[in-house]
Amino acid sequence: MRRAFRGIVLLALAAAVHAAAAPLPVRQVAPGVWVHLGRHKDFEQGYDGDIANIGFVIGNEAVAVIDTGGSYAVGASLKEALRALTRLPVRYVINTHGHPDHVFGNAAFLDANGAAEAPPQFIGHARLPAMLAVRGERATRQLRQQLGPAAERSRLVAPGRTVQDRLLLDLGGRQLVLRAWPSAHTDNDLTVYDSATRTLWTGDLLFIERTPSVDGDVAGWLAAMAALDTLPAAETIPGHGPVTRDKHGALASQGRYLNALLRDVRASIRQRQDMTAAMRSAAVAERGRWQLFDLVNPRNVNRLYPVLEWE
Amino acid sequence: MNTRPPGARCLPLPLKLSLSLLMSLLMSLAMSPLVAAQAPAQAAAQPADTQWPALQQAYFPGKTLEPAPFIHLTAPTRAPSGDQVPFAFSIDHPMQENRFIKSVRVFVDGNPVPLTAAFHFTPHSGKAAIATRIRLESDSPVHVVAEASDGRLYVNTVHVKASGGCSGPATGDDAAARASAGKIKLALDGPYKAGALNQATLLVRHPMNTGLQRDPFTHGFRPAYFIDKVAVTYNGKPVLTADTAIGVSENPSIRFGFVADRPGTLQVLVHDNEGASYRQSMQVGG
Repeated sequence: MRRAFRGIVLLALAAAVHAAAAPLPVRQVAPGVWVHLGRHKDFEQGYDGDIANIGFVIGNEAVAVIDTGGSYAVGASLKEALRALTRLPVRYVINTHGHPDHVFGNAAFLDANGAAEAPPQFIGHARLPAMLAVRGERATRQLRQQLGPAAERSRLVAPGRTVQDRLLLDLGGRQLVLRAWPSAHTDNDLTVYDSATRTLWTGDLLFIERTPSVDGDVAGWLAAMAALDTLPAAETIPGHGPVTRDKHGALASQGRYLNALLRDVRASIRQRQDMTAAMRSAAVAERGRWQLFDLVNPRNVNRLYPVLEWE
Repeated sequence: MNTRPPGARCLPLPLKLSLSLLMSLLMSLAMSPLVAAQAPAQAAAQPADTQWPALQQAYFPGKTLEPAPFIHLTAPTRAPSGDQVPFAFSIDHPMQENRFIKSVRVFVDGNPVPLTAAFHFTPHSGKAAIATRIRLESDSPVHVVAEASDGRLYVNTVHVKASGGCSGPATGDDAAARASAGKIKLALDGPYKAGALNQATLLVRHPMNTGLQRDPFTHGFRPAYFIDKVAVTYNGKPVLTADTAIGVSENPSIRFGFVADRPGTLQVLVHDNEGASYRQSMQVGG
């Protein structure tokens, strides 16, 4: 009896989530390129699954979604926004990397083309499946703790197609160039370049305003940034923060933070200052320039210090 | 990892506690992936505070633990991650031939294997103090129990918020981690002080696989693979012996003290659960 009742409540909740998917606000940053900007909230303070920049590119024949947000509900709202603009099939769902705020909305796109049409192809970096496999269970558990009922139906959908180096996708009248990077922000970063409008989606290889978080290799990240700096992009869509025409300046700001972090953690290790002290002192010169600094920066030190000890 | 043994939620609390404890004990005896798979859900299913009485009963049956504010504990209230939580204890207690702290046990109540490490000291240790990094699977109290040479037991505790340390990512390349396992860095944390307490830090490269981490390729669990013993001598006299378990973080870092009555040799022996031994020594002073 009780179980049956719970089942009904769950069904009702699921239906509510489904029906209540109001379209996410999206903005056209270039012809056919639509972005929803996430807000700068931390995973531990008021997290709502909607913190990353996500969106889509509409071609003449098909649509590609680029990142899906941090929950099924966010993904479903992005799909509503998309469906308000076009009936073209969603041929691709691209994940720029495996972090929860970018991938948990994937499941909302499984039925994006209705029952009669083929579902979209899910695409990610060659190392994305491994990250999802290793972290999936823990990430799903944490999401339920963070979002409660709002995590309903959120689950990970691994890519059916992966990118080792580069991949060209045709949407009809426009091509997307996907590029897989060596370990940088994570070990599975992928960028998307729309040649028609010269728009670059960096994923989390670029943070603007929000403190960059380190989960890969900082030296590799700086190298990837140097390569991104040479790309001829008109508009650049970072993983977090506003869309910019000043890619060079944004990369320079991020580089300044990452270099300060690296330099200060190395100095702490050299001076035999312990990790706790380094978590307080490293990169403090950058504190006023970034949001969520006091949460993200110690996390970065906590991750880097034990690695740099072995240099 | 979310699979709970059927019916577990319906058990009365005391029975649940002893089940969890039994599980912990079983795991410390034989770390089979099957058992390991169920443990985190067990640990997560109950408020962490409730676990200490059962742990105390299991490890110190019939004994009195005296609350001891002179056991100083340093840990973050909220750790940025459960993988590498800085943790230190320092005990203000004589370290003389006839009266000293002989062992200190560190328990993370909420971990699948709560007993994280047991550190054994001698008067040559100079001070019963360790700074290291530990794993927390969930928010948990950390209990530190010190045993003095006269048999008295002292306890202090600190609450730490952190999560995911035991089941969390072993994203690195396992083969590479195994290949570099056993590399040791040993250094003094300051200039040599003759006839006084010196501090040194021992770094050991080792994945410290918990047995609860997924292998991304086989989708099974990586077998537990961890350092289980550390022995440090100065001029042949023991200054620190540690029994370590999976709650100690990857690439362990252990800062310890020793009394250098004269220049000499600091020697470290590290042993893991697969039977490998690693050694390193350094000249101190002189």
